[in-house]
Amino acid sequence: MANILLREKDIPGIGQYDTYVQHGGYDGLKKALGMKPDEVIQVVKDSNLRGRGGAGFPTGMKWSFVPKTEGPKYITVNADESEPGTFKDRQILEYNFQQLLEGSLICAYAVQASAVYIYARGEFWDIGPHMEAEIEKARKAGWVGQNIGGSGWGCEVYVHLGAGAYICGEESALLNSIEGKLGQPRVRPPFPAVAGLYARPTVINNVETLANVPQIIVQGAAWFKSIGTEKSPGPKIFCMSGHIEKPGNYEFPLGLTFRQLIEAAGGVRGGKKLKAILPSGASGPLLPATDKVLDTALTYEDVAALGSVLGSASVIILDESTDMVWATLKMARFFKHESCGKCTPCREGTYWLLKRLEAIYAKKATPADVQLIEDVAKQMQGKSLCALGDFATSPVMSALKYWRDEFLAYTQPQKPAPAKAGKDKVVAGGD
Amino acid sequence: MTDTVRLIIDGVVHQVPKGANLVDAAKMVGNDIPVFCYHPKLAPVGMCRMCLVELGQAGIDKDTGAFQLDDKGQPAIRWQPRLATACTTVVTDGMAIKTTTPQVTEARDDIVEFLLTSHPLDCPVCDKGGECPLQNLTMRHGPGESRFLYEEKQHLAKHYPLGDLIYLDRERCIQCARCTRFQEELVGDAVLAFHERGRRLQIVTTSNPPFDTYFSGNTTDICPVGALTTADFRFGARPWELTGVPSICPHCPVGCNVSASTRLDRESGGKIVVKRIMPRQNESVNEIWICDKGRFGHHHSRHGERLTQPLIRQGGKLVPATWDQALALIAEKISAADGDVGAIAGGMVSNEDLWELRQVVENAHGGKDHKSLGVYPYRLSGAEWVAKVGLSKGSNFGQMGKGTTIVVIASDLSEEAPIWYLRVKNAADRGAHLITLNARPTELDRFAKSKLKISYGGEIAALKSLTEKPEVKDAANVVIFVGGEGLDRAGHATLMQGAASVLTSTGHAGKVNNGLIGVWAGANTQGAFDLGYSSEATESLLNKRPAVLILADADIVAEDAANVSLLAHREGKFTVVSEMFLTATAAQADVVLPRQSFVERDGTVTSGERRVQRFYTAQTPLDGPRPDWKVFAEINRLRTGSKPKLSAAAVMKEITEKIAAYKGLTYAELGKVNKQFPDVGGDDPYYGGTAYENKGGLGVQWPTEADQGKVPSVSMPAVGKARKLESGELLIVPIVELFDRKPAFAASAPLLHSHVPAPYVVLNSGDAKTLNLVDGDKAILSSGGVEGEYTVRVDAAVPAQTALVARNLNLKSPTPAVPMVGSIRKVEVVASHV
Repeated sequence: MANILLREKDIPGIGQYDTYVQHGGYDGLKKALGMKPDEVIQVVKDSNLRGRGGAGFPTGMKWSFVPKTEGPKYITVNADESEPGTFKDRQILEYNFQQLLEGSLICAYAVQASAVYIYARGEFWDIGPHMEAEIEKARKAGWVGQNIGGSGWGCEVYVHLGAGAYICGEESALLNSIEGKLGQPRVRPPFPAVAGLYARPTVINNVETLANVPQIIVQGAAWFKSIGTEKSPGPKIFCMSGHIEKPGNYEFPLGLTFRQLIEAAGGVRGGKKLKAILPSGASGPLLPATDKVLDTALTYEDVAALGSVLGSASVIILDESTDMVWATLKMARFFKHESCGKCTPCREGTYWLLKRLEAIYAKKATPADVQLIEDVAKQMQGKSLCALGDFATSPVMSALKYWRDEFLAYTQPQKPAPAKAGKDKVVAGGD
Repeated sequence: MTDTVRLIIDGVVHQVPKGANLVDAAKMVGNDIPVFCYHPKLAPVGMCRMCLVELGQAGIDKDTGAFQLDDKGQPAIRWQPRLATACTTVVTDGMAIKTTTPQVTEARDDIVEFLLTSHPLDCPVCDKGGECPLQNLTMRHGPGESRFLYEEKQHLAKHYPLGDLIYLDRERCIQCARCTRFQEELVGDAVLAFHERGRRLQIVTTSNPPFDTYFSGNTTDICPVGALTTADFRFGARPWELTGVPSICPHCPVGCNVSASTRLDRESGGKIVVKRIMPRQNESVNEIWICDKGRFGHHHSRHGERLTQPLIRQGGKLVPATWDQALALIAEKISAADGDVGAIAGGMVSNEDLWELRQVVENAHGGKDHKSLGVYPYRLSGAEWVAKVGLSKGSNFGQMGKGTTIVVIASDLSEEAPIWYLRVKNAADRGAHLITLNARPTELDRFAKSKLKISYGGEIAALKSLTEKPEVKDAANVVIFVGGEGLDRAGHATLMQGAASVLTSTGHAGKVNNGLIGVWAGANTQGAFDLGYSSEATESLLNKRPAVLILADADIVAEDAANVSLLAHREGKFTVVSEMFLTATAAQADVVLPRQSFVERDGTVTSGERRVQRFYTAQTPLDGPRPDWKVFAEINRLRTGSKPKLSAAAVMKEITEKIAAYKGLTYAELGKVNKQFPDVGGDDPYYGGTAYENKGGLGVQWPTEADQGKVPSVSMPAVGKARKLESGELLIVPIVELFDRKPAFAASAPLLHSHVPAPYVVLNSGDAKTLNLVDGDKAILSSGGVEGEYTVRVDAAVPAQTALVARNLNLKSPTPAVPMVGSIRKVEVVASHV
């Protein structure tokens, strides 16, 4: 089957405006402009397209939340792809950008927005000029700016580069970042659909989500639903990394199993035994390589049933040589580094988790510390302002659930004496 | 009722105001939900997560509005799986919360434990210890034993100067953002911000000079830990040693309610002294805020240069004398003056002082003669319009918003009355239509919907145009502030009449949240007007000085050098000065009487909003100085044998009997307190220190004639002729700078000395070019026979042929009190030959 999202695999140069148009580019927008905005939303609703950024929220429903009020409304494309092991949006931005642009414009038309902001992570600085050049080509062809396609409706497109913060992938922190504010999440309500960018109604969609939209409009909701499963329809890019023979992006309909996916990517590196899978980067719980897991279909609901999440489908493969304490420490360090610090449990909890995991990994801890990190992680859960605080507990909780022995093996029954016999030094358990 | 909704807290149904958030709503019905980042004066942000509660919604029968019941007969509630932050949740009808379940208690415990992992727990040496939200909540929710290793604590700067007034202890900071939000949301000076992220998140100042605002001290009050402290008070005393004494700020007409934190002080020889000034809650006056001038300007009361003995001029010199000698001499001179006696009172002379001083003058005249009772400074006038259509009784800037139009004319409120600035700004943020009419840009312009630029002299024409503006004509409420910038006494009187005319002709007099406010110069200028003093009298007293002239807190020489000649020691002329310091005026007197400062005595003052308010004795008085009222009463006794009153309260009682507007305003009445919301001064100190609670009285606004149904018809004064300036001439316009070099203030706050600018003159860029002057040049300004050296500032927004000169910055060669024509020349720097 031809790729729907990674089309450059079939049609080299599809990311260039001319090539894109030669292969049916902007037919979707043309068709959408001939429909009423609400009809466009209805088609996307009918397609049951779900957000590809990780949360899997129904896209059409998100669009329909935008009130039909006067005044500016905005579309924000979340291209802050920062989850460890996720690199799918980058490929679209680099090689199939026109399809994203067209999808964003269809979305903008559907909610009658006047501007699209593409928020790309700062590390995508070299893709920025490419995106801007392609936007200019689309503008010359009349797809960006005033009176698009003679519809009377106009829309601007801006590219905004972030400054290197994971938290800015969180939609409200992303909005703050575009506004030039500190990248910290906002309190909800109000939700972005009501008061988002510059306090105006805003739709925030992931790159891959919007890249699906042109073909949904051209081929219809029924076509889209024929791909994948009933509750998780459509194609999906799976980012394969870790101990895998052929790392990279793979496009499949949702619903294939972990086993099929790993085989498609050449199997575990060096023919080693699989130990664990991170189905969704660092923020989804680890899964052990059991047959039950391997035979689970990659859909939003089936992975959730295993106690993990499909998320952005950034699948990190860990083979038998993986030290789970080391792996957990790596992820704890990531979350401590990326916590924005706005809310207490995440700011303090990620630091505390890291400190104790470092001690465990350095063999300077006792079994009580293993219990402590579990307690701290539990203490963080459900209390943070945004999802990052909960994400940060996933690797710890899941690693302890399946590989607790490995952590205990690092510990010593008794606490080693403090390195420096201090004068007034207060030791553990002191005030 | 439509303005309340049903909130179920722990199974009990309460009626709470619609639109309140859960923290406020619960507090109103006696349930304390603990908070750190939430503050009722700031928008909620949900950062600290301390206020987590279980949240649910009761089912409501659509037809009857009654709760749907479960099988136990209780409201059937659908509970959310996650805990919710109470501060960010607005109550809706039928909302339910649980605040005492194990889940909620554990969540609170967890958050406190998290906060303590990065907190130094140095309560024993922390200024906040004893009035600290974190300390209190740690006692309630803290784990008792730390699971966090001491060695893993972060060590950060402990004494980081955020400016020279405020220090930040970065280890104590819990990143609640109250300080940054106060500056950004309430003040509009976003000079504080977070820097970095995660555990490295820290407060920084983004302005240069650092923490550049007039309101910085308030951040230390609302800081829920000891992270922010003032350079003035830090390590000065422990909160539990302090007694809060209610007082009123003496520095401007707003009349901010303050609390003087006092203690028996070993360093001060075992006397009770004021250690700090804190805001005292009065939601109608200053809410819970004060400016830095009020907070730091209390040191004058303990200054080493305070006068402690009366001085009598002998052989051309002032020599110390006893009170008996000084008062006998004054009584004798008054008796000999044959009624040629007059008095001028400054801005911080209490109502009691003014009343007894008036008796001295009236007795000398053998009856009423208000022509001999002057106020100082005397450039502002028109108080009769305030008495007619002043801001109506019951008005409150805290409640103004949409529908209200606020006009500020000829005034820079940020410099003249900072808390009015703050409250007007916040009313504008809530939707009030702010109109500024000034000849130059002012800070309030940033929040104004219309900025009407006028020329000096064009004020009346501008007011006239206001009556036609729909924002004034059709507004539900109109408040007008009338300042005196660019005006002389007569000009100000006319402008006050013009403003009164706008109010009456558009039907905005005698209604709550409507009326006129004169931006007076002193804390009790309004009281002086009320008690019969006037600017007109000052003008005539200065034109033809009486044989005996009594000056109380009126430094007429420092403010206008031309007055020196008035005080020349001639036969038959006798000058009495009551002052705290040997001011330029006192140095010219025949008798100098040492007066008490505001913290050493009690009394009442009347704010610019006509609120009569009490202040109380806070500090052990210096040996020697006496309160003015007592001194003047003694002079009366010596002259007439009258029985002096024994207390300030007794003097006030007489005022209430003789002055109609003050009827009933006894000390008991002025000392009354009603419950205020937000409740920031209760047992829980979540919202700041322990000083907020108002135990000294909310004061009483006296009603205007319009309030009593007598709305006058006021004609709009004719537009005057514009002043004609010859080429080369400049109009010297005195302006007000908050931090100046007035003796009482300069002695008040050594900390603020570096904030007082060097004497400066602001010129239009065209004029500067013509005069060959650039920014930073030195120039000599001459006007009215006085010359002074100033640093030049060039500003394109200043009107042409105008020189703005800040008053009271140059005491050697004072700035003119009223606008006058003058000239300016460059000081040529002569190259030195080394």
